[in-house]
Amino acid sequence: MKSFAISSFIALSALSLSAHAGGDISAGKAATEKYNCASCHGKDYNTPIDPGYPKLAGQHRDYLEHALVAYQRGADGANGRGNAIMAAQAKPLSRQDITNIAAYLNSLPGSLVLRK
Amino acid sequence: MTGNILLSISVRRSKDIFPSAGQFRVNYPATMKKLLAFLALAGIAQIAAAAVAKGSTTTAENKVANCIGCHGIPGYKASFPEVYQVPMLGGQSAKYIENALNAYKKGERKHPTMRGIAGSLSDQDIADVAAYYAQQK
Repeated sequence: MKSFAISSFIALSALSLSAHAGGDISAGKAATEKYNCASCHGKDYNTPIDPGYPKLAGQHRDYLEHALVAYQRGADGANGRGNAIMAAQAKPLSRQDITNIAAYLNSLPGSLVLRK
Repeated sequence: MTGNILLSISVRRSKDIFPSAGQFRVNYPATMKKLLAFLALAGIAQIAAAAVAKGSTTTAENKVANCIGCHGIPGYKASFPEVYQVPMLGGQSAKYIENALNAYKKGERKHPTMRGIAGSLSDQDIADVAAYYAQQK
């Protein structure tokens, strides 16, 4: 019993540590459902409904965070991005939402690769 | 289109230089007509080519030199003005890559390095680079 308590304590603290460092994957999944990200980027986030939209599954976590923050800043903000659709989508997100969404999308299997 | 303008200027100049060349003037309209027809056709061909701007992965190989120094290195991070891993481009949809590069070119996206690079690319370069990354697996 004692060893179970210790091991579950270790497991839980490891979980909360990873959540702190890289965002909470399950909270990120919930946020993507709340904001309907899949309606454009595809159910698996690897098959967008239009080729003009990016595949997101497996993309680097910190890049995804940057992109969402940049859409919040808009085209007039420093290092921002102007895009009518993504500006509206990114606007209601908290910094924590962004971290979580990026962690979730990064965790998904996709077809993006890094090659020369 | 630039070619058309330059040529018509040079034609006008030769007229200025040889104002008394009568023979020139007699033959001028027919030659001019042919020349204009040719230039107009060339112009149309150019516009048609630009409208399609189909990406070619073979010509892209000379154009991705500026890309691979960052996007081809595992773990490479943009350092200015913010630090994060540059996006993976292999397997991304070509149309999205074109949209992104055009957004940098037009200034809708502000990242300074990417603005500099995208600004130096023609529509054909953008189509080629996009096709190059899209076919990677």
